Amino acid sequence: MKKKVLSLLMASAMVLGLVACGSSEPAASNAPASNAPAASSQATDNGGAAAEDVALTFTWWGNQTRNERTQAALDLYSQQNAGVTFDTQPAEWNDYWTKLSTLAAGNSLPECLQMDYSYLEQYVSAELLVDLTPYVESGVLDVSKVDPGILESGSVDGKLYAICAGVNAPSLFYNKTLLDELGITLKDNMTLDEFKEVARQVYEKSGVKTDLPYAAGDNYLPFLLRAQGTNKLFNDTSLNVANAESLLPGFEIYETGTKEGWIIGADVHAELTSNSVEQSPLVYFSSEATQSWCGFFWSNQLSAMVAVAPEGMEIGITTWPSDDPKQSNFLKPSQFFSVSRDAGKNEEAAVKVINYMLNSVEANEILLGERGVPASSDVAAAISPLLDETAQVVTGYINDVVTPNCSPISPAIPDGANEVYNYYNELVDKILYGQITSEDAAKELFEKGNIIMNR
Amino acid sequence: MNKTHKLTLRQKLNTEKAAGIICTMPFLIGFLAFMIIPMCISLYYSFCDYNILTPPVFTGMKNFQRMFTDEVFYQTLAVTFKFAFISVPMRLVFALIIALLLFKSTKMTGLYRALYYLPSIIGGSVAVAILWKRLFSLDGLINKLFMALGMKEPISWLGDTKTAIWTLIILAVWQFGSSMLIFLSALKQIPTSLYEAARVDGANSWQQFWKITLPLLTPNIHFNLVMQMINGFLAFTQCLIITQGKPLNSTLFYTVYMYQQSFLFGSTGYGAALAWVMLALIAVITWILFATKKLWVYDGGL
Amino acid sequence: MRNKKKVINIIYHTIVCACGIIMIYPLLWMVMSSFKETNTIFNTATSLIPEKFTLENYANGWKGFAKVSFATFFKNSLVISILATIGTVLSSSVVAYGFARCKFPGRKFLFAAMLASMMLPAQVLMIPQYLWYQKLNWVGTYLPLIVPYCFAIQGFFVYMMTNFIEGIPRELDEAAKIDGCSYYTIFTKIIFPLMVPTMITGCIFSFMWRWDDFLGALLYVNKTEKYPVSLALKMFCDPSSSSDYGAMFAMATLSILPAVLIFFCLQKYLVEGISTSGLKG
Repeated sequence: MKKKVLSLLMASAMVLGLVACGSSEPAASNAPASNAPAASSQATDNGGAAAEDVALTFTWWGNQTRNERTQAALDLYSQQNAGVTFDTQPAEWNDYWTKLSTLAAGNSLPECLQMDYSYLEQYVSAELLVDLTPYVESGVLDVSKVDPGILESGSVDGKLYAICAGVNAPSLFYNKTLLDELGITLKDNMTLDEFKEVARQVYEKSGVKTDLPYAAGDNYLPFLLRAQGTNKLFNDTSLNVANAESLLPGFEIYETGTKEGWIIGADVHAELTSNSVEQSPLVYFSSEATQSWCGFFWSNQLSAMVAVAPEGMEIGITTWPSDDPKQSNFLKPSQFFSVSRDAGKNEEAAVKVINYMLNSVEANEILLGERGVPASSDVAAAISPLLDETAQVVTGYINDVVTPNCSPISPAIPDGANEVYNYYNELVDKILYGQITSEDAAKELFEKGNIIMNR
Repeated sequence: MNKTHKLTLRQKLNTEKAAGIICTMPFLIGFLAFMIIPMCISLYYSFCDYNILTPPVFTGMKNFQRMFTDEVFYQTLAVTFKFAFISVPMRLVFALIIALLLFKSTKMTGLYRALYYLPSIIGGSVAVAILWKRLFSLDGLINKLFMALGMKEPISWLGDTKTAIWTLIILAVWQFGSSMLIFLSALKQIPTSLYEAARVDGANSWQQFWKITLPLLTPNIHFNLVMQMINGFLAFTQCLIITQGKPLNSTLFYTVYMYQQSFLFGSTGYGAALAWVMLALIAVITWILFATKKLWVYDGGL
Repeated sequence: MRNKKKVINIIYHTIVCACGIIMIYPLLWMVMSSFKETNTIFNTATSLIPEKFTLENYANGWKGFAKVSFATFFKNSLVISILATIGTVLSSSVVAYGFARCKFPGRKFLFAAMLASMMLPAQVLMIPQYLWYQKLNWVGTYLPLIVPYCFAIQGFFVYMMTNFIEGIPRELDEAAKIDGCSYYTIFTKIIFPLMVPTMITGCIFSFMWRWDDFLGALLYVNKTEKYPVSLALKMFCDPSSSSDYGAMFAMATLSILPAVLIFFCLQKYLVEGISTSGLKG
């Protein structure tokens, strides 16, 4: 295949050159020149390739730390497995999905890719990912050390498409220093009423407000609804709720907070980068009116939050408040590794790499749980002594607080769900601006949500 | 290459027609090879139910019908019109004034030009996004400035649906550098002999500006107007990196909505339809600008 | 009289300087932020001067990621931007000449097509373009980032130059024609040399736009070692994990340097136009 690419490339370069000459156009002399470096680099790629050599493409989203560690782990794999080389393509979250969908349209997805729970269903239903079940059966992929619930989250309709790259759980980060000063102690598994009470107290005593999830309906709405027994919010063509009232819990808390004044408003959020750790009102503020004592995040973001917290501010971690913590809470793969349909003959080689990322202690000694607590219990235990204090806290939180008291994750969302969540975010905005009541918001979400899903 | 052939051919090639066709050939080739096919494919998508991941299915006019009932569509259209019609003229006026100021050649001119052009170089980077939000935040520089001038309460520029769009407009105006450069190179083109003649006739610099500079600049004003209008309607980055449409879609640009539909909401077909409607709208506006060209654009020889 | 001129001069310089500083303030802020410790950037955003001056951000940023340093990214960006800019400016000048000086059948139509091609948002063409370049087997190379620009694909430049050529007196062409010049030699001998100011403008714009372009690189470059600066810069800020703003500001500062340098080197040609001497004749 690659040889063919090369020859075609050469041919197209020549054609271009000819066309350019024919048009008697000065700029054209650039065309062949610019072809040359690209073409020759292609040649070197293929040059030394022996028959069993495999070049795999591995793509992920993430920051500098992740890029470095993942690259190092893959380099180690290349050392251990002669003939396997990697083209790595890190990208930033938004760009990543733009690129991945474009590549999917061109049937040229990278062999190994990082997958997110919110996209899993769409990619599986478009048949873009490889079913890994046969490899588990044949032993190429060893999942024996992975918690069945976590493993299950990478499955759609009983087939395994994605392997957990790190375990995550919803976590409330809070300003422990401030709460200690005010004489407030938080307990894990708070109910919504208890949470509101803390919010009121903090606001009264210090003027510091409360930051509820903003522009994050995809995380928060399902979490709230799970407590009411709505585990699955979407059917393929409609919302999976009987009436508008079932959606009410998604709005009430915002309405209460707005009326009582303790919530961080949409006007403050308009000045921030939504959902970024650095600009969370928990650590980034100019006065009490823009400061929050808490922030809704995921457990693997704790290290980042601790790193950006002002000096002398201790950050605590607990569960998101819910009236039914056991129903609401869940463990979620922070991200998955998948093998794409376009891997072709490299499929097995790609699966082996994923097996390595999952089970190799050496690899995870490099990765150090940056994507979340390693899914393999053996690996998690093996690297635990190497982790820093914060990472230890996260592991403890996952193992001791969430794991004993949670339910399976909600099913992956279908096409159209993102637009519904976006509309939900808009409605929350309107509540924060006092333009709509929570009852009306629930009604509108119910109507419009069904229209969107039915499209 | 062609020129080395026989004389007759050479003569044939040296007609106005032939020269025109040959000279514009590179564009024709480029257009056919790189533009026309992708454009046709996207036009086809606009008639399809398509979400990128699965193959498109032809659905006729459904995407276009959907626009009639789509409130956000109208909302973003209004935002985009407002943005383009306010920011573009302001940008051009600033660019022209500064270009005139900086045309005068002193030792410092190079530095000054750089000062005014640099904001355009940083363009739409993440750095600008962060910075812009800082400037307009409650405790930001703009509020401090107004408070020093006697304003009592700080204004939440980004948080108010009425003012948020203005932060984007000001950003666009701030980056007037490209129009300024075009004006500068056009000013350079005006022969100094014209000014000398005017001075002999006793015209002051104000008269010189109205009688010589401005008329001779009109082709460039027209050019800048057309280009900036197109750019204004297709503005994308500012909204995406700074406001994301907040608050309450009051700053949601048309193109960003199109992008959301195409890449986030899985309605790529609808996104393509939106793009083609935008093309039609811009085409109409551009046509108007060209149709009215002869009313105010100077096109006599010098 | 002399004094009055002096006063006017001082006023002129003060005003231009003052406004210039307002214009440049945000940029200064970015540069100064790059010298702040990364976790203090936001909390000290209102003050321009770093509390503690550090070069750590530059060291952190420059090492890049996945073992590829920013030196490589800069090299890649330079290759792409320079080749594409030369291609754009030269090809656009020829096409512009054709549009400005020659009447030929289909001229209006072609010009309209050129304008229309600018009216579609780039985002909507992404997928079809990708599919097309894939057919050409260009994915994974720099070809899609360079070759199309060598065919005057950006109407902006063609239109800008057409406009400029129309401002050059036709008498020059006529005179040259009488001297026996063909349409082509009129271009190479007369028009092309006179186009320097607009070509300089074109170079500045094109370089800057190619340098900033990341969408193309995102889709067509498939190895970290081949990433250009624009794409690499974005990877300091991943909203789903954490971001290193200090390193981002540091590298953003460095990344505008080439464009600034080019502007400084070329802008003097906008002043000392070679054109006027030719026009007087």
